[in-house]
Amino acid sequence: MKIKRHNFLRSICALVLILGASPIQAQIDHQLQLGRIASNDRDSITTAVRAISDEKDVAYYALMVALFNGELYLKNNELVIIGDMQEDDYGDTLAPLYTAYPKRHPILNDEGKPLIATLIDLEEIDSNRRIRALIQPYLTQMEIFHPDPGKRRVAVETLGNRGDLGAVPMLRDALEKETDSGIQSLIRVALGKLELTHPDAEVRLNAAKALGDLNNTFVLSFLQARVEPDASGNIAELDPAVQSEIRDAIQWLETFNQIMVVIQTAFVGLSLGSILILVALGLAVIYGQIGIINMAHGEFMMVGAYFTFIVQNICLIVLPVAYIDLFFPLSLPVAFLTAGGMGLLVESLVIRRLYNRPLESLLATWGISLILVQLARTIFGDLTAVKLPQILSGGFELAPQVMLPYNRIFIICLTAVILVGLVAFFFKTRFGLRLRAVTQNRGMSACMGIPTRRVDAIAFFLGTGIAGIAGWAMTLIGNVVPNMGQTYIVDAFLVVVVGGVGKILGTIVAGLGIGVSNKVIEPFAEAVYAKVLILGLIILFLQLRPTGIFPAKGRDE
Amino acid sequence: MTYYRPIIVFLLFGIAAPVLNEMGLLSDTTLNLWGRYFCFAIAALGIDLIWGYTGILSLCQAFFFCLGGYAIGMHMLLKTGTQGVYGSALPDFMVWNRVEQLPLFWEPFHTFTFAFILSLMIPAIIALIFGFLAFRSRLQGVYFAIITQALALGVWLIFLRNETMLGGTNGLTDFKTLLGFELADPASKRGLYIIAFVTLFASYFLCRFVVKSKLGRVLIAVRDSEHRLRFIGYRVASYKVFVFVMASMLGALGGLLYVPQTGIITPGRMDVQASIEMVIWVAVGGRGTLIGPIIGAVLVNLLYSFLTGAFPGTWLYFLGFLFIGVVLFFPDGLIGLRSRIDIKSLKRFLPRRTRTALPVAAER
Repeated sequence: MKIKRHNFLRSICALVLILGASPIQAQIDHQLQLGRIASNDRDSITTAVRAISDEKDVAYYALMVALFNGELYLKNNELVIIGDMQEDDYGDTLAPLYTAYPKRHPILNDEGKPLIATLIDLEEIDSNRRIRALIQPYLTQMEIFHPDPGKRRVAVETLGNRGDLGAVPMLRDALEKETDSGIQSLIRVALGKLELTHPDAEVRLNAAKALGDLNNTFVLSFLQARVEPDASGNIAELDPAVQSEIRDAIQWLETFNQIMVVIQTAFVGLSLGSILILVALGLAVIYGQIGIINMAHGEFMMVGAYFTFIVQNICLIVLPVAYIDLFFPLSLPVAFLTAGGMGLLVESLVIRRLYNRPLESLLATWGISLILVQLARTIFGDLTAVKLPQILSGGFELAPQVMLPYNRIFIICLTAVILVGLVAFFFKTRFGLRLRAVTQNRGMSACMGIPTRRVDAIAFFLGTGIAGIAGWAMTLIGNVVPNMGQTYIVDAFLVVVVGGVGKILGTIVAGLGIGVSNKVIEPFAEAVYAKVLILGLIILFLQLRPTGIFPAKGRDE
Repeated sequence: MTYYRPIIVFLLFGIAAPVLNEMGLLSDTTLNLWGRYFCFAIAALGIDLIWGYTGILSLCQAFFFCLGGYAIGMHMLLKTGTQGVYGSALPDFMVWNRVEQLPLFWEPFHTFTFAFILSLMIPAIIALIFGFLAFRSRLQGVYFAIITQALALGVWLIFLRNETMLGGTNGLTDFKTLLGFELADPASKRGLYIIAFVTLFASYFLCRFVVKSKLGRVLIAVRDSEHRLRFIGYRVASYKVFVFVMASMLGALGGLLYVPQTGIITPGRMDVQASIEMVIWVAVGGRGTLIGPIIGAVLVNLLYSFLTGAFPGTWLYFLGFLFIGVVLFFPDGLIGLRSRIDIKSLKRFLPRRTRTALPVAAER
C-alpha cells in the first residue's frame, strides 16, 4: 500500500516537473497540508485547502470529499473518514472508519474486521461554508477520476475549456487511467488545447501536432482562433514554427472533415436507399407479376411492425429477462407470415377480381389501406414502440463524433440479404422460373401448364410478406404507429416507376439513386424541397426513359 | 321527360331552396352545406372528364381545387385589411411569423379581377406544363396516377411550410368580406349558394357540350383504344393535355367558390387522401356520365356529414369499404346500377372460375 502510494506520487511528481516543482518539496508538502488540516484550526484548514487546490493533487480527493461532507474526523491525531452511522443499544452512534489519505480505504482491527468507533471518541474536523466553497472547484476538477463516465466527460471538457495550465499533469494522469476510448480522446483534446497556450514553443508545437493527429474536427475552431486575428487584430500564436504547424493541423482537419461529410452522406443515403428498396421490392414483385400497384403496401408493412410488437409483448411475459432480445429474431418469421397471409386473403377477396383493371385496383387497395389503418388505430391506439435489441443499440464510431448506428447498418445488410435471397429465388428455383415465365408471357405460360392464378397468388404472398419484413426492420428506427406505412410509400412508388417493371436491378438502382440524391440535396435545401426537387428530376428523367431505367423487353412500345 | 329534368332541378335547387331559406323554412347551415357540395360537384365534373371519359387517373385534383381556394382566400385576407386580430395590414399569420412586408407574389391578389383570373390560370398553367411533360413521354395508367400522387404529396408538403407564406398548417382563415359583401351575412351566404349552384349548372352544360362534340368522341377513344387512335394519326398527347387543363380549371373553380362559403382553407384539403377521395365521389356516382359525379359528390359528402355526426370513428371504415365495394360490385356507380338490375348482374357476386388470360404487357 505504502509503496504503491509512493510510485503514484512519483509519477505525478515527474509530470509536475514540467511546471518546475520538485519531488522532495511535494513530499514535504503533503505532510505539511495534512498537519494543517489535523490542527483543526479554520485558518490553517483554509490555507491547506488553498494549497491542495493549487497543487491539483488527486491523492487528496477522498479527504476533500469527506471534509466537504463533514465526515472527516480525528482519531488519535490521525485523520480518518467515517462511514454510514448506526446507533447501538446504548444510544451511542457508531461508524466504520476509513483512511483519509491518500485513498479512502477501510481501516481494519486486529481481527481483520472493519474497525468501528463510537462517534464521541472522535474529534470532528470543522468546516464552514467558506471552506466548502473553496473545496468545490477542486472536487469538480477531480471528477475526471469519477467512476461515472458521464461525470468524467463533463469534468474533462470543463478542464479543457478553462485554460488553466495547472490541470495538465492531472489530465495526463487521468489519461493513463482512462479505459473508455471516447473519453481518452476527449482528454487528449483537452490536453492539446491547454498546451497550445503553454509558454514554451516546443510544447505548443507538439500540442499542435497531437491535435492534428486526433482527427477530431471539434478542435478546428479552437485552432483557428490561435492563428486568426481576433477582434482587436491580435494573433494569439506568434511563433512562426508553431503557427505553420497549427495551419497544417487545420488544413488536415478540414480535409478530414470533408471526407467524413462525404462518408456520412453516403452512409445516410445508402441507409435511406436501402429502406426504399426494402419497401419497394415487394411492390415491384407484385407490380411486375400482375400489373397492380398495391396502395395498401405500406399497411402490410404496418402489419409486420405490429406483429413484431405483439411478439415482443408475448416474449416479455414468457421469456426470462436475459433472453428478452430474442423477441426480435423470433418476430421475423411471424411478421413475414402474417403480412403475407393477410396479403393472400386480400388477394383472393379483392385483387383477384381486378387483375385487368389496374386503375380500379389502385382505388380498391387504397380502400384496404384505409380500413387497415383505422383497424390498427382502434386496436392499438396511436403510439407504440418496439424496444431496440441491445446488440443493435449504439453504433460504429468511425471517428470522434462520427457514428454509424448499428440499426441502420443492420437494415442495409438486411436489404442486401433479401435481395440476394430474392434473386436466388427467381433464378435458381423452379418456382422462380414459373414466376418469370408468367411475367414474360402469361398466355404461353398457361398453355404450358403453369397454374398462372396460383403463381399470381404466391407472388402476392411474397410481395406482402417482404413488406412485413420491411415493417419488422422499420421498428428499429421508429415508433410503431398506424400510419407508419405512409412515410416511405409514395417514394417507394416512385422507385418502382423509375426502376422499370419487374426488374430487381431497376429497383436497386432507382432506390439507391433516389435515397442518395435526397441526402445529397438536403444540406442545400430543406428535406421538403429536396423531395420536390427529386420529383422534378424524376419527371425529367421519365422524359428520356418513359418506362424506367430498365424497360421490359417486348413488343409494346 | 329528359328535357324537363334540368329545369326541374334548377327550379328546385336554384330557386326553391333559396326562397325557402329566405322564408326561414330551410336553415342557413343546410343551405351553406349544400352550397359546398355543389363546389365539390364542380371539381368532380372535372375528374369525370379526365377519368371517366378519357381514362386517365389523376390523383392531384384536390391540389387544383386548393389552388383556386387559396387564390380567392389570399384576396379575401388582403381585403380584411386592418380588421384582423392584430390590426395590421398584413394577414394575421404573417404577423405571427414576424413578416414585415407583404411577399411580392401576394400583391396581384389585392384586386378581385386579378385574383379571379389567377385562381383559374395558375392551375391551368401548372396542369399545362405538367401534363405536357407527362403525356409527351407517354406516361400512362398507373404511372401517371403515381406521378400525380407524388406531385400532390410534394405540393402538400410545400403548403405546410411557414416560409412559403401561405399560412402553413393553419392555412388561410378569418375572411371578412368579398366584393364588399359581409361574408357573415345570411344574404351573402345565400348569394354564394346561388352562385355555386348556377356555376355547377353551367359547368354541367359546358362539360356536356365538350362531351357531345367531336372532341369528346376523341377523348372516349383515348380511353378505349389509345394505340389505335395514335395509329390513325391523332395527337393523343394534345387531347390529354387539354382534358387535364380543363379538369384542373374545373377543380380550381370549385375551390374558388368553396372557400368563401367555408371561411377557411388549409393544406389538409389537398393531402394525398383528399385527391383519392374526390375520385371515389365520381366512382360512386358513376363515371362516364355527367350526372353521376354530381350525385356522387353530393351523396358521399352527405353521408360524411351524417356518419361523422351519428357514428364518430366509423367514417374511415365506411370510406374504405366504399372504395372496395364500388370498384368490385358497382364499377359503373349508382347510374350504372339502374340499368343493371337484371339477372345477369347477379352473377358478378359469385366468384368466377374461368377467366381469359391477361396479357400484362398491354396494361403498360
